[in-house]
Amino acid sequence: MYWGGNPAECHPRHFTKYALMPKSKFLPNGRKDRTVVLVDIRETKSVKAADLFLQVRPGKDFELLTILRALLKGHDVGDREIAQTGLDRAVLEDLLSRMKASKFGAIFFGMGLSMTRGKHMNSAALLTLAAELNSFTKFVAMPMRGHGNVTGADVIMRWQTGYPFGISFNRGYPRYNPGEFSTVDVLVRGDTDCAFIIGADPGATMPRPAIEHLARIPTIVLDPHVTHTSRIAKVHITTAPAGIAAPGTAYRMDEIPLPLSPAIDSPYPTDEQVIKQIRAHLEQKPNWLPDSQQTLASQV
Amino acid sequence: MELKIIDHATCTFCGCVCDDIQLHSDGQRIHKAEKACVLGKAWFLNHSAEKHYPDALIDGEPAKLADAISLAAELLHAADMPLVYGMSNTTCEAQKQCVAMADHLGGLLDSHTSL
Ligand code: SF4
Repeated sequence: MYWGGNPAECHPRHFTKYALMPKSKFLPNGRKDRTVVLVDIRETKSVKAADLFLQVRPGKDFELLTILRALLKGHDVGDREIAQTGLDRAVLEDLLSRMKASKFGAIFFGMGLSMTRGKHMNSAALLTLAAELNSFTKFVAMPMRGHGNVTGADVIMRWQTGYPFGISFNRGYPRYNPGEFSTVDVLVRGDTDCAFIIGADPGATMPRPAIEHLARIPTIVLDPHVTHTSRIAKVHITTAPAGIAAPGTAYRMDEIPLPLSPAIDSPYPTDEQVIKQIRAHLEQKPNWLPDSQQTLASQV
Repeated sequence: MELKIIDHATCTFCGCVCDDIQLHSDGQRIHKAEKACVLGKAWFLNHSAEKHYPDALIDGEPAKLADAISLAAELLHAADMPLVYGMSNTTCEAQKQCVAMADHLGGLLDSHTSL
C-alpha cells in the first residue's frame, strides 16, 4: 500500500526490486500474490501498477486515516464524514477487509502525506493505523525516503545522540525538540548565527525567510556542486560526490547499510576529510564549555 | 585508458539505494550504469572527474582549500549558536563527523527529515 507517494516516478525501482515483483518463498508468484493499493490526491503514473486506487480529497488524509481506524475498531462513522474524504463507504469497507485478510501488509508513505496539511499528525495517524492493524495481521509502515542517505543521517544521529534529528547540544548534552531545534524554525526565527550545510541545498527548498536568514549569517557549504545555497554562502568547499567518487556507507530506506563503490577519481577531497580538518582546527581553539568532557566526541 | 567494470555498485540517488548496479568507468567518467533506472543513470553519467568548480569559494571568489577550511573553523568557533544541517547526500562516515563537530561546538544538529 502506497500513501501519498509516486514511486513510479520518484523511486523507479521500488516496485520491481523490492515491493511488488520479487518472488519469494511465501509469494512464489511475485506480483500475482500481492494486492497493491495506492492512496493519493491525483492519478499519477503509479496508478497503473495498483489494483486499487483511492483518490482522497486534498488535505483530507488525516480524516481518512482516522475514519479507517474507527471503522477498523467497529465504531459508527456517519456518511457525511466519509463523503468529506471524497470516497464512499463501500470502498473503505472493501479496503479494510482486504487489509485484515492480508498475511503481511506494508504501508509506504510519501511526502504527499507527511508534507501536506497535518504533517506530523498525518504520519502519526498512519503509523497508529498500521500498529492497530496488528491486532488482525502483520502490518508495518515505512516512509519513502527521498535523497540518498537521509536514512543514514537518522541512524547515525540516533546511534550517537539517541535522537534522530532536531537536536541541540547547547547545554553540553543532546536535547531533542523538533519545532524548536528543527532547521526551518531555527532559521525563520533567526536563532542561529552561523550555518554549516552539507549534502543539502536549503537555498532551493526552504521558505524565503529561512533563505534570507542563511544569506544574512556566515554560511559554510560542503557540496560537490556550487548550489543555490553556495551562492549566498560565505564559504563553499567543493567535495567529491558520495558513492561516485567518495567511498563510504549509505543506508537504504529500510535501514540496511550498504557499502558505496566509487567509480571515478575525484580531484576534490571527501566530505569526511574536510570535516576532519575543520575539527582539527576547532580542537586547537579554546572550548566554549571550560573543562567540559565531550559528551560524544571523545568516542569518535 | 583502462576500462574498469564495477559490479554491485550502489546508487544513492533515491532512498531505494539499489546495490546491484554495474558501472563501466574509465576513472574519469562513468560510461554505462547497467540495471540503474532513468534517474540512477542520469545521476551516474552526469558526474566526471573533471574540475568544473574551484576547490573552494570565499564570498563567491575562488579560494584555496586550506584557507576555506580555516575560515570555516573560525566562523563556527566564533558563533554563539552554530547550526549543522543537511547530511542527505553524503556518507555515514561524514555524518558521524558532523555529529561530533556539532557536539564539540555545542550547536544545533538537524537533517532533512525535519522538513
Ligand atoms: S537505481 Fe533508481 S531506484 Fe535505484 S537507487 Fe538509483 S535512482 Fe533509486
